[in-house]
Amino acid sequence: MNTKPCSQEEAVTAAVRSGDWSPELKAHRDGCLTCAELTLVVAALAADAEELAAMDAPLPDPAPIWLRAHLASRERQYHRATRAIVWVQRAAVAIACAIGIAFAPGLWELVSGAFSGLDLSMSAPDLPRSAGSPLLVLVVSLLVLGGLALWELTAAQEN
Amino acid sequence: MDEAAFRHLYQRTARPLRAYLMRSCGDLALADDFLQEAYLRMLRSGFEGEDDDHRKNYLYRIATNLLRDHFRRKRPESVQVPGRDESPSHDEAVHLRSDVGGAMAELAPRDQQMLWLAYVEGASHNEIAKALGLRTASIRSMLFRARQRLAKQLQARGLRPELEVS
Repeated sequence: MNTKPCSQEEAVTAAVRSGDWSPELKAHRDGCLTCAELTLVVAALAADAEELAAMDAPLPDPAPIWLRAHLASRERQYHRATRAIVWVQRAAVAIACAIGIAFAPGLWELVSGAFSGLDLSMSAPDLPRSAGSPLLVLVVSLLVLGGLALWELTAAQEN
Repeated sequence: MDEAAFRHLYQRTARPLRAYLMRSCGDLALADDFLQEAYLRMLRSGFEGEDDDHRKNYLYRIATNLLRDHFRRKRPESVQVPGRDESPSHDEAVHLRSDVGGAMAELAPRDQQMLWLAYVEGASHNEIAKALGLRTASIRSMLFRARQRLAKQLQARGLRPELEVS
């Protein structure tokens, strides 16, 4: 009997599945160990598959799978859409940090000088000018904006 | 893919896919987890496929990867199913007690998956190679050897070709 791969394997597989054996093929199978083994394996697996597929246990509901995939897809779209905003926020934080570090040594002098020169009797639009240093206004504004960007960024990551 | 198309695919493929997973991992609850994860990964990947068969092959590939990861995490001896004279306590044990289930459980997971894909799903050598991450050229000989091992196990359990064919 043959114990190597056989050229009739495809025909034998098809015959096992369909149950349609020609007399020649059946005679071949009876004399070929490879095809006899193939017959046994294919028939056994088919019976096993049929038994497993007919199990009473209900299949998981597909609705939650669809919903989870849908939510994941929406989340991906949201992240894609907000990616540019996040980068701008990160840049703003980085610039604010750089400005903060650059001006830190003289910042206190700038602030105290500005407060001492501040004339609160002036109208609101003239207050920055009375503070004496437009640079201070710029630095403080950038630091505040940087702080806001950082807050936004951390709030978005927490969500 | 819209929801109706997904439901249609699920209806057509879920039972045979669960049978494949069940036979390989031997646990109904785990098979159901893998089943859901396979569909979820397919949907997340955005894979559309040319037709249902293409999508089905893709699903089996994902399922096989899940099984491979599962067996990598587990020690080989811990995936053995209970013997015929032991008394398993789960519903799925009904199937594991069957002769074919017991014989399959004696094979390596890759051999089980290869045989199932080839002879239950009718997958081509190329599809099997893709699903298992192997070279197409190796499949023929690997399949032949796996088949010999399964036949030996089946024969040891008293199953003969003539019994199966008639």
